Amino acid sequence: MSHYNREGLFNPAYHDSGTLEIDRSSSRKSDHYNPYDRDTEPWQRGVADWAPPEALPPYNEQGRYPWDSREENWRPTDNMAMDLLPQQNDSLRWQHNHGSVNYGYQTDSAVDYITAPQEQQAPWTPHMGETLRQRGTRKMSLFPGGGVALGRLGMTEEDVRDEIESGEQDLVKELFAMSSRDQIQAIRVLQMSLQNKRDIRRQVLACKSSKRGLKLTCLTDCTDQVSRSFRRFGANLVSVRQAMTLWRGTMKEIGGKFGTGVLSYFVFLKWLLMFNIFSFLVNFGFITVPQLVQLPNITDQMDFKGLELLTGAGYFNQTVLYYGGYSNETIGTQPTYDMQLAYFFTIAAYLVLCGFSLIYSMARSFQKNFVLSASGNAWCLLCSWDFSVTNEKAIRQRKNNLRIQLKESLSEKSQGDHMTMSEKFKQFGIHLGTWLISTGLAVASCTAIYFLCLDYLEAINNSESQDFSSLLKQASTLLLPFVVSLINLVIPLLYSLLNKIEKYSNPRTQIYVIILSVIGTKCLPSLGVPEFDIARNVLDLIYAQTLAWIGIYFSPLLPALQMIKLFITFYLKKVSLYQNCQPPRRSGRAAQMQTIFIALLFFPSFVGAMSMVAYTVWSLKPSKDCGPFQGLSTTFEAVALWMERLNIQNLPESMWAVWIYNNMIKSELFFYLISLIILVLIYFFWQVTQGRKLLISILREQIINEGKDKAFLLGKLQKLQKAKQTTASSQPAYTQMPQSYDRIQEIEPDYEQSLPSMPRTAEATGPNGPPITSALIQAMLARRQAEEDEEEGY
Amino acid sequence: MGNKQTIFTAQQLDAYQDCTFFTRKEIIRLFHRYRDLAPQLIPLDYTNKPDVKVPYELIGSMPELKENPFRQRIAEVFSEDGEGNMTLDDFLDMFSVLSEMAPRDLKAYYAFKIYDFNSDDYICKSDLEKTLNKLTRNELSEDESRLVCEKVIDEADLDNDGRLSLEDFQHMIVRAPDFLRFSPCRVIRMLV
Repeated sequence: MSHYNREGLFNPAYHDSGTLEIDRSSSRKSDHYNPYDRDTEPWQRGVADWAPPEALPPYNEQGRYPWDSREENWRPTDNMAMDLLPQQNDSLRWQHNHGSVNYGYQTDSAVDYITAPQEQQAPWTPHMGETLRQRGTRKMSLFPGGGVALGRLGMTEEDVRDEIESGEQDLVKELFAMSSRDQIQAIRVLQMSLQNKRDIRRQVLACKSSKRGLKLTCLTDCTDQVSRSFRRFGANLVSVRQAMTLWRGTMKEIGGKFGTGVLSYFVFLKWLLMFNIFSFLVNFGFITVPQLVQLPNITDQMDFKGLELLTGAGYFNQTVLYYGGYSNETIGTQPTYDMQLAYFFTIAAYLVLCGFSLIYSMARSFQKNFVLSASGNAWCLLCSWDFSVTNEKAIRQRKNNLRIQLKESLSEKSQGDHMTMSEKFKQFGIHLGTWLISTGLAVASCTAIYFLCLDYLEAINNSESQDFSSLLKQASTLLLPFVVSLINLVIPLLYSLLNKIEKYSNPRTQIYVIILSVIGTKCLPSLGVPEFDIARNVLDLIYAQTLAWIGIYFSPLLPALQMIKLFITFYLKKVSLYQNCQPPRRSGRAAQMQTIFIALLFFPSFVGAMSMVAYTVWSLKPSKDCGPFQGLSTTFEAVALWMERLNIQNLPESMWAVWIYNNMIKSELFFYLISLIILVLIYFFWQVTQGRKLLISILREQIINEGKDKAFLLGKLQKLQKAKQTTASSQPAYTQMPQSYDRIQEIEPDYEQSLPSMPRTAEATGPNGPPITSALIQAMLARRQAEEDEEEGY
Repeated sequence: MGNKQTIFTAQQLDAYQDCTFFTRKEIIRLFHRYRDLAPQLIPLDYTNKPDVKVPYELIGSMPELKENPFRQRIAEVFSEDGEGNMTLDDFLDMFSVLSEMAPRDLKAYYAFKIYDFNSDDYICKSDLEKTLNKLTRNELSEDESRLVCEKVIDEADLDNDGRLSLEDFQHMIVRAPDFLRFSPCRVIRMLV
């Protein structure tokens, strides 16, 4: 602590000048910036001496300063520790040029406790100058709430430096106590400049080595080397693994060019691909491979004709691609592998795992992205800018969009207030009308398909009697899918037409509303270059995945097909994106969209597919002639039969399975109990969330009250400073906040009076001292007071 | 990989690795990107810690930053002299914070500093207005921009002092999970 004090101040001014005391006091007197002094104009506070307008920062590129130019003038002074101020350096330079001596007081003046003049190399102060310069102009994280305008409190720079140093030592001690990996992580997230971090790191390492200095240095060197090389190896592994991630580079490019909304579609696609890969591996491993080992006897073999690739039926019907290609025998002799059970349990396990993983992702994503979600202008302005976009056109687009969004939100507010009743009715009527039409369309298409199906089945059954060639028959099986696809193409276009009639202002609401009508899509009205329609594409993906899940029971290797399809889709979409589309207009809330996608995937899609498969398994009679469940009345009977067999065998190690089956799966009481318990838990957690909401609002109140406290204390400090200023000017000696502390106790707490003094429109009324962390101030004042009491005591 | 590079000493590289979020390879690559900005100015040998700075104009012309409306503020915040002229340390620091590995709190802290144009530790209305101008290319009218700034302060100011402190800003960030997109550095590994 001592070596920062009276010697070795880091600027030549002090060295060149006479006694430090006199210089300081005189400089302080003339140029001490009193932020609390509202009566004097900024330039009277000595600002103009060392911050000429031309030294101000150059970002007047737009040439527009609607706000007070006065503010510009005094801005250089009105900053706290956090400075990297161009104006500081300009003023320093300016003074340098003028050969001014008053360089030093800048540090102890109100402004900052670290005006490390960066240009100079400070050859005359090797140690301290260097460290202070390294400490640079960044705020140290030890001083929350904006560094401390300790100077404003009238503390000397030595005290300031003492504070910094003690803070630093605390930090080093903290870091020293951690493990090496934690240390590195903690250093990385420090809010300081790189040089400061290096400094801290060096100190920590020095501490470490000094501590270990007593032990064998050779051994510790070795262990150091070993641990360092392990860390490097670990880092290499991580980078290798990252490099192997599928499509990583492409995704980054897409994100850079088109923004995170579009990127979320591709991320979703990749996620679905992972699902399918997993399912394919599982199914292939547990069902297909054993079956391939012992192929069942297929009667009535069909030849391969080219049409199979299109219809997927025919020859493929009897391969392992389909349910029918699996037998119900047990394969192998010892140990036996029961195909029935294997088929059933594999599919069941996969679906259950899928469900769990979806629920987990949904919950995690919801928690991350939805809870306490922000919206509105603040978010729009400060958080929504997508810095990952680097394309010039894209950025211009975004700027336009942001402007449009802000304008719209402004007009929304004003509009929402002024909508007349008739207008509201009209809008409501339009909404209702389009809803009816869209629902009608959906219902109509569903019934059309249903009747077509019925007619079609009839026709097929009838035609069996006639002598149709099998080729034609197979070709006619294509009719139904063809019609469905046609409807899928046409109806969305109709919906987008409807969409143009309606006008929802929030695009997200639009997306959600239309998704609710199952087949709808949203097409932003654009002429010329199309946009990548995220909603529609995602819906396509979800639709395809639903089909895959429904089909997995009947065709275990369907995931393979889905995988191929997703792969091709990725590249197709990417090419189409690059060639055709422009970045979307609205900056989408990508994280929330991701949550919605997962939720959509889970709720209608997965649950629907699972219910259908469950219904099939539980109630429908499996086909008699082929497949692993031939001859059973329902698929689930396979399990029942197995349990009976186990029961009969009466082996002790399998009795627990029988017990579970009998008492948990078959008994209804068990399910009632489970449901009851779950309901109770839900109620309990719901109450907990209610309590937490209440807590949040209480805490908000508390924050507002703290703000008022700050204001009050600030007012007091201002008064004290004023008083001190008048007394200090008559004393050449250097005094800090001496009797001021007593005065604090003398002044009556005048809460209401000082409240208005903390203006809500601080920036409008001009320079006011920014509030300071109240606790810190009190602590400093108390310490200062204690020191002075000691001195006085001598 | 070995120590085949001669740009830095092993200790320097270790220090960089421990203080930034980059691996050794990335640091070397970034050094070359830095050097490419001004090859005649930056020596290839950094073992004796030369004190060179790349002037702001060159930094601002990097493809990652060129179109960024806040590039000047970003350079000012991270540069030692506060004017945008960056040493290698500043350069690495900047890209480390802007990379996707930096945690959200660190990014929020620096984002706050970037938006704080007058560097008074608060985002006051004038700062917001400047931010708005940079983002909307000056096409909002005075009234509109004033309205927007007022609304922003209304929404985000918790302790009711008329401006956003770091805590207010961080509170807002917590509720905006998209904020991690504050990283133009995603593409840097592609370009390097």
